[in-house]
Amino acid sequence: MAGYLLKRILIFIPTLLVISLLTHIISINAPGDPVDMMLNHGDNNEGQNVQRESYQKSYNQLRHDLNLDLPVFYFSISALSTPDTLYKISIVYHRETLKRLAFMYGNWQQISAYYLSLQKFEYALYDVAKTDSNAVYLKKAKEDIFQLYLEYDTLKINYLFSQIENTLKQDASFQLIQPLFNSIQFSFSNVLSSATPYKSYIPKLYWYGLQNEYHHWITHFMIGDFGLSYQDRRPVAAKIKEAIGWTLILSFFSILFSYLIAIPLGVISAAKKGSKREKIISVFLFMLYSLPVFWIGTLAIIFLGGGDYLNWFPAFGVTNLSNNAPFIDRFWDIAYHFVLPVFCLFYNNLAFISRQQRGAMLNALSHDYIRTARAKGLSESNVIWKHAFRNSLIPIITQFAHVFPTIISGAFVIEYLFTIPGMGKLTFDALIYRDYPMVFTNLMLVAFMTLLGNLVADILYTVADPRISFNKKDE
Amino acid sequence: MNTTEKIKSDQSYWAVVRKQFKKNRIAVFASYVIAIAIFIAMFADFLANEKPIMAKYKGTIYFPVFKEYAVDLGIAKWPSALLNVDWENLQFDWAIWPLIPYLPQNIDFENAQSVSPFEEQHVKSKRWRHWLGTDELGHDVLAGTIHATRIALSVGLVAMSVASLIGLILGSIAGFFGDSHLKISRIGIFFNLLFFVLALFYAFGTRAYSLGDAIGQSFIIFLGQLVLSLFEFISIMVLGNLLAKLFSFIPILNKKIPIPVDMIIMRLIEIVISIPTLFLMISIISIAKPSVFLVMAVIGLVGWTGIARFIRAELLKVRSLEYIEAAKALGFKEFRIVFKHAIPNAISPVLISISFGIAAAILTEASLSFLGVGVPPEVMTWGSLLSSARSSPSSWWLAVVPGTAIFIMVTVYNLVGEGLTDAMDPKLRK
Repeated sequence: MAGYLLKRILIFIPTLLVISLLTHIISINAPGDPVDMMLNHGDNNEGQNVQRESYQKSYNQLRHDLNLDLPVFYFSISALSTPDTLYKISIVYHRETLKRLAFMYGNWQQISAYYLSLQKFEYALYDVAKTDSNAVYLKKAKEDIFQLYLEYDTLKINYLFSQIENTLKQDASFQLIQPLFNSIQFSFSNVLSSATPYKSYIPKLYWYGLQNEYHHWITHFMIGDFGLSYQDRRPVAAKIKEAIGWTLILSFFSILFSYLIAIPLGVISAAKKGSKREKIISVFLFMLYSLPVFWIGTLAIIFLGGGDYLNWFPAFGVTNLSNNAPFIDRFWDIAYHFVLPVFCLFYNNLAFISRQQRGAMLNALSHDYIRTARAKGLSESNVIWKHAFRNSLIPIITQFAHVFPTIISGAFVIEYLFTIPGMGKLTFDALIYRDYPMVFTNLMLVAFMTLLGNLVADILYTVADPRISFNKKDE
Repeated sequence: MNTTEKIKSDQSYWAVVRKQFKKNRIAVFASYVIAIAIFIAMFADFLANEKPIMAKYKGTIYFPVFKEYAVDLGIAKWPSALLNVDWENLQFDWAIWPLIPYLPQNIDFENAQSVSPFEEQHVKSKRWRHWLGTDELGHDVLAGTIHATRIALSVGLVAMSVASLIGLILGSIAGFFGDSHLKISRIGIFFNLLFFVLALFYAFGTRAYSLGDAIGQSFIIFLGQLVLSLFEFISIMVLGNLLAKLFSFIPILNKKIPIPVDMIIMRLIEIVISIPTLFLMISIISIAKPSVFLVMAVIGLVGWTGIARFIRAELLKVRSLEYIEAAKALGFKEFRIVFKHAIPNAISPVLISISFGIAAAILTEASLSFLGVGVPPEVMTWGSLLSSARSSPSSWWLAVVPGTAIFIMVTVYNLVGEGLTDAMDPKLRK
C-alpha cells in the first residue's frame, strides 16, 4: 500500500511538470505586453525625451523585477538567423518585428544596425522643439516612426519612408535630423542587399542555463512564492487567500446538499424501478441534468433577484455589510446572498450524482447475492441499504474525485454570473487580463487537486470494496 | 465461411439494437427532434431572411435567397437594381417571404431597446412582427435563435468528429501495442528523436509566420497551411525512419527496445482531464483571434479522452481472449484480427459517448459564448443571446428563448445517448 502510494505521488511530478510547461507555452505566446499594461501606459508619441527616458527606465526596472528580461526557457532551438540575445530587447512589439525581420533576411548585424538607426532618429525627433509651424508634422513623423518599429513588410516600410521624407520637407526645423533619416534608409537598403535568408532554415541549439523565466517561476512556485499579479501588483498568494473562502463556502454547501439529497433519491429510484413515482423522479432528474446552469442562474436573477419581477434574493455580490459589522448580521447577510448561487450548483450536482447513484444501485441490485439475501428472508430495506447500497458506492466515490478539484476551481460561470469574488472569477479575470502568474498558480492548484482527488478516490475504493487491492494492481 | 458468419452476427447485433432503441419511445421522439433541428439548421436561410424567397420586381422574377448563395460562391452578381437595397421596403409586384422576414444581423431601429413579444411593436403589419421580441439593439430574437441552431449543431458535430478521430487513433495505439508490443531499435529511437526535433523545426518553427498570418486571414487558409505543415512533418519523420533502416545492419544499434506507449497515452489522458476544460479553452481562445472554428477545434481537442479509453479497453480485452491466440497460431496477422474484432465491439460505447459528447459540446459552446469568449461578438449564438439578458434583466424573453433552445438540444442528445445505452446493454434487454 505504502509503495503504491509512493508510486502514485511520484507520478504526480511529470504530470504537473507537463501542465506547467503547457501554461508557460500559452503565456509566452499570448499577445500583448504585460509590462506596458502594468505601467498603464498608452500612446507615447507625445512628450519629450526626458519623459520617454523615465518611462523606459521604469519599464526596464519592472521588466527586470518580473524576470521578464530573462530567456523564456533553458534552451531554444531556433534558426541560425535568429540571434540568441533577442530576449534582451525590452519592448515586446519591437522584439517581434526584429525577430521577423531576422527570419526574413537572415542578417542580424545589418538588422540591428537598422534598429539602432531608427532609435537614433527617434531620439533626435523627440529633441526637436515643438513650434506652431511644425507641430502637426512632428506628430505625424512620430506616428510614422512608431509604425516603422512594427513593420516588416518591405512595401509598407518604403511607404512609411516616403511619408516621413515628405513630412521632413515640410518644415525647416527638420533640417538637422535629415541625415539621421538618410542613415535609416541606408541601413535598411543594407539589410535588403546583404540578405541571407537561407540561414533561417538551419536549426541551431542555444543553451541559456538556469537563468530563465521558467526556472525562476517554477523554483519560486515550489517554495510557495507565487509572484505578483499583473493586474494590481499584489502578491498572488494574498489574492488567492481572499478568494478561496468564498469558493469554499459555495462549493461546500452545494456539494453537501446535493450529496445529502442525491444519494437517497438515487437509491429509492433504483429500488422502486418501474413504479410510477420512480418514472416521474427519473424524468425530473433527467431534465435537471440537461438544464444549463447559466440559464437557470440568469432566470433566477431576472425573476427573483430584483429587477422588474420578484425581489426575493440579492443577485450580485456576497454581502452588503462592511467587514466590521457584527458577525451574526454578516453571517445572515452572506447566507442570504449565497442562496441563489448555491442552489444553481446544487441542482446541477444533484442531477448528476443521483443519476450515477441510480445506475450504480441498479447494477448492484442485479447481482446474485441480492437474490440470496431476499431468499434468506431479509427485509427489503435491509437488502437495499445493507447489501446493495454499500456495493453501489464505488462509482459515487469516483464521482467525488471529480468533485474535489471544483472546490478550488469553483464554478466559473456561477461566480461570473453572480459576481462572487471567488477562485472562478479570479481565474477568469486573470485569463482575460493575461495575468499569467495568477493563471499559472490557479491552474497548478487545480491540477494538483485533481490528482489528489484521484488518489483519495483510489484509497476510498479499498474501504468500500475490500476486493480491490493495490498490490495486485502493481503487478 | 468465417467472414460470412461474422457479418451475419454483426447485422443481427445492430438489428437488435435498433429494435431495442425503437421500443424507447422517448429516445425515438428525441431523435425526431434532432432531425427537425438539423432541418432548421440547413434551411435557416429560408426560414429567417431579410430577402424574399421568390419575388417579382419590375417585371422580372427573382429568387433572392438562392441568388445570395450564388453570389457568395462567386458565380453570379446582383443585378444593379437589387444591389444594397432595403429589401423590406422594396416595391415588389408580389413576393414570397420567409417565415421570419429578418436576418439575425438586421437592426430594427423602430423596435430597438428590447421590445417584448407581447408589447405593441412598431411594425407595418403582423407579417413583420417580432414574434419573440427584440434585443437592446433591435435584432430579431427568433431569427437569431434560428440561425444560431446552425452554429450549435455544427459545433457539436465538428467537435465530436475531431474528438472521435483523436480518441480512435490514440486509443487504438495504446490498446494495440500496450506497454511492450511496440519495439523500436536503438538507432530507430535516436533517429526518431532527432528527426522529431527537426520536423518540429521545419514544419512549425520556420513556418510559424505563414501559419500565424493564415490564422489572421481565414480559417480555411489556416487549415490549408496546417495540412502543409503536417505533410512536411510526416515526410521528415518518414525520412528519419528510412535513414534508421540504413543503419540496422549493425547488431548493437538494431537491438529492439519496447516503448511503453500505453503508459504514455494514459498519462496524457490524465493530464488532459486534470486541467479544467473551460479553463484550458479560455486560455487558448484568449490568445487567438475569436472564431467559431477555433471553439470547435478546442472542444474537440479536450474531449477525446473518454473515447480513447473505451477503445483502449476493448482492444486490451480482445487481445487477451483465447481465440485471438488461436487465430495468431493459425498465422493470421495480429493487426487484422485485433481490429476486426475489437473495433465493432468498441463502437457501441463510442457511439454513446459521442451522443453525450455532442450534448456537452453544445453546452460548452453556449457557456463560452455566455462568458463572451471564443465566438466573435458579431456572431449571434444561443449563449451570446442569453448573455445579453444579463445586462438587461427586465427582458425575460432574451433569457427564456435561447435558454430553451439550449435546453432542448442538450436534452435530446442526452436522451438519444441514454436510449443507445439502454439499447446496447444486454442486461436490460427484454
